Amino acid sequence: MNLKKVLTRDSVRIGLSGTSKNEIIKEMVGLIVKNGSGLDERSLLKAVLDREAQMSTGMKNGIAIPHGKTDDVSELHAVIAVSAEPVDFECLDKQPARIFVMTISPASHTGPHLQFLAEVSGLLTRDDLRKKILAATDEDELLNIFFQGQS
Amino acid sequence: MHEGASLIHMMTVLVLQLAVIILVAKSFGFITTRYLKQSSVLGELIAGMVIGPFALGSIPLAFLGGVPLFSISIVTDLPVSPELYGFATVASIVLLFFSGLETDLKTFLRFAGTGSIVGLGGVIATFFLGAGSAVFFIPQVNSIMNPTALFMGIVATATSVGITARILSERRKLSSPEGVTILSAAVLDDVLGIVLLAVVVGLVRSSGGTDSDVDWGLIGRIALKAFGFWIGSTVIGIILAPRITKGLKGLKDMGTLSMITFGLALMLAGLSELAGLAMIIGAYVMGLALSGTDVAEDIRHQLDGLYNFIVPVFFCVMGMLVDFSVLPKVLVYGLVYTFLGILGKIVGCGIPALTMGFNARGAFRISAGMLPRGEVTLIMAGLGLSSGVLDPGLFGVAVMSMFISSLISPPTLVKAFKGGSGFKKSLVTKKSEDLRTISFDMPSISLADFVMTRLLAAFRQADFFPRRIGHGNLVYAVQKDAVQITLLRDGTTITANVPPDQEAFVRLLLTEEILSLKELFRSVEKVAGSDAMERDMLGGLF
Repeated sequence: MNLKKVLTRDSVRIGLSGTSKNEIIKEMVGLIVKNGSGLDERSLLKAVLDREAQMSTGMKNGIAIPHGKTDDVSELHAVIAVSAEPVDFECLDKQPARIFVMTISPASHTGPHLQFLAEVSGLLTRDDLRKKILAATDEDELLNIFFQGQS
Repeated sequence: MHEGASLIHMMTVLVLQLAVIILVAKSFGFITTRYLKQSSVLGELIAGMVIGPFALGSIPLAFLGGVPLFSISIVTDLPVSPELYGFATVASIVLLFFSGLETDLKTFLRFAGTGSIVGLGGVIATFFLGAGSAVFFIPQVNSIMNPTALFMGIVATATSVGITARILSERRKLSSPEGVTILSAAVLDDVLGIVLLAVVVGLVRSSGGTDSDVDWGLIGRIALKAFGFWIGSTVIGIILAPRITKGLKGLKDMGTLSMITFGLALMLAGLSELAGLAMIIGAYVMGLALSGTDVAEDIRHQLDGLYNFIVPVFFCVMGMLVDFSVLPKVLVYGLVYTFLGILGKIVGCGIPALTMGFNARGAFRISAGMLPRGEVTLIMAGLGLSSGVLDPGLFGVAVMSMFISSLISPPTLVKAFKGGSGFKKSLVTKKSEDLRTISFDMPSISLADFVMTRLLAAFRQADFFPRRIGHGNLVYAVQKDAVQITLLRDGTTITANVPPDQEAFVRLLLTEEILSLKELFRSVEKVAGSDAMERDMLGGLF
């Protein structure tokens, strides 16, 4: 999957201010609602929190991938963000997280969502890219790390 | 004899024949799969030979008034009665309907590249070797345009990939580049074989089965008509099939829906016969048209009972048609024909594979995968015998080649897939064939089955096309563009074989699916936790 088709300057963000799992998720859902049109913030938030209740999406290496499925959206929505401070996200390695990838996809059409996550996870397993992501000083730089990493 | 009594007698004999056929064919089929590890088809075929009119079947039976159970029909010249042959005809329609249903045309078209060139090479080489051998060995045949030569040509082309799929999936090689190439080559092999059959049947009918001068204009017209009917009905079918099944889904009864689609297959089979083509062409086209719909898998499932009943009858009847007395005379030709069929596949599929990045080992693997023959070979040969184009000796030759190829291909295939990469050195790094295996256990087979169904649905939602490979295998090729994943259930274990670049994707998909299953199980626990339901169920019984 070509990340350029999903990510724009508006769908990446550095310096999230949240200090808890819930705050981070709310901030990111807010971004998705702002970037989209006619999206219902409450239903998106519920989809993500429902999924989070089944099993935390905190992975390893300071990465979390909160996501949800709801038929209130008709296509894949995604944001990638870095928080100012490490946040406890109930990660697999018990370490706090700073890199967050959120996707919200239609319940009946999950292909793009899984492909996007697979693609991003491929990039995030690289130590050099994670370091660059955490060091990024503005959104353009962050976006370019993903685009260049993929090519 | 009174006419009513005679009809009753005929039906009594038919019922007894079917009884003996089913009992013996099923037992032989069981023995060949369980103890000899061969395809049940071979067992059913042998069953037919053993109980047929040229062996045990010819023994006069006292309770039938001193006549044998299986006698050579005076009406049709065939060694079986017209009633029994009718069952075999319906069975051939069932087989080709299934064969069409199992094809995923969309995936094939997207993924055709290497596969179709390999398939095409195999068909061309075997056709000309088969037809050419007839000219060389049969005195009355002087050109490859002779109907007999044409039939020996098309009989040589058919590949039955079911055996290959089973063996490769057992060895976790189905998603290897060789495995994927074999599967898509087999689709082209099927389609091309069917179109060729349409052309040849048309030619035979118009020339009256004689070796007349070659009229290329006529051949062109017939080929055009045959191809036109095939492509026309396929396209119409593919456009109409989703609408028909959508309408039929309103019935809310998959059993009725499936039988109606089978009725349509019979209809199209009859119509294609009337159009001067063979019946199995219509059956295949109907299956092909439905293969792209979301109910294809359900139709197969619903018609399983019919398949299990009638298909062994078909193979058994084909075995009965083998006249042993003529076999010694055609033994040499039979061996040569078998050898040429194998050579044709090895050269015809191997050379294109060599030009597409495979090395000699890879090319041989692909060729070996294309060797098994099965139902289509027999259907084509049976058609030749019943229309008089093939004599009993040549029918025996066709059965012999099917038999030998099917026996030698499994060990050949197993051997071929040992050792290193099948790719040329320069390409090894580019296309790694090193597959990742993800597998997990379920507590019971029925739960594993349920989870398997859910996983297939999840793959479908992720834009993949799952397609079950072969009949009776629990192996699915899950394809999307150039990506193929194999999903199989062996006992309680579910395994996915995945190319490395798809591993992340599949792991994510499996995780999400397992989570939603757990959610489901929690809701089941709520039901299981209280005994209110079964108390209600028992009501006031005690």
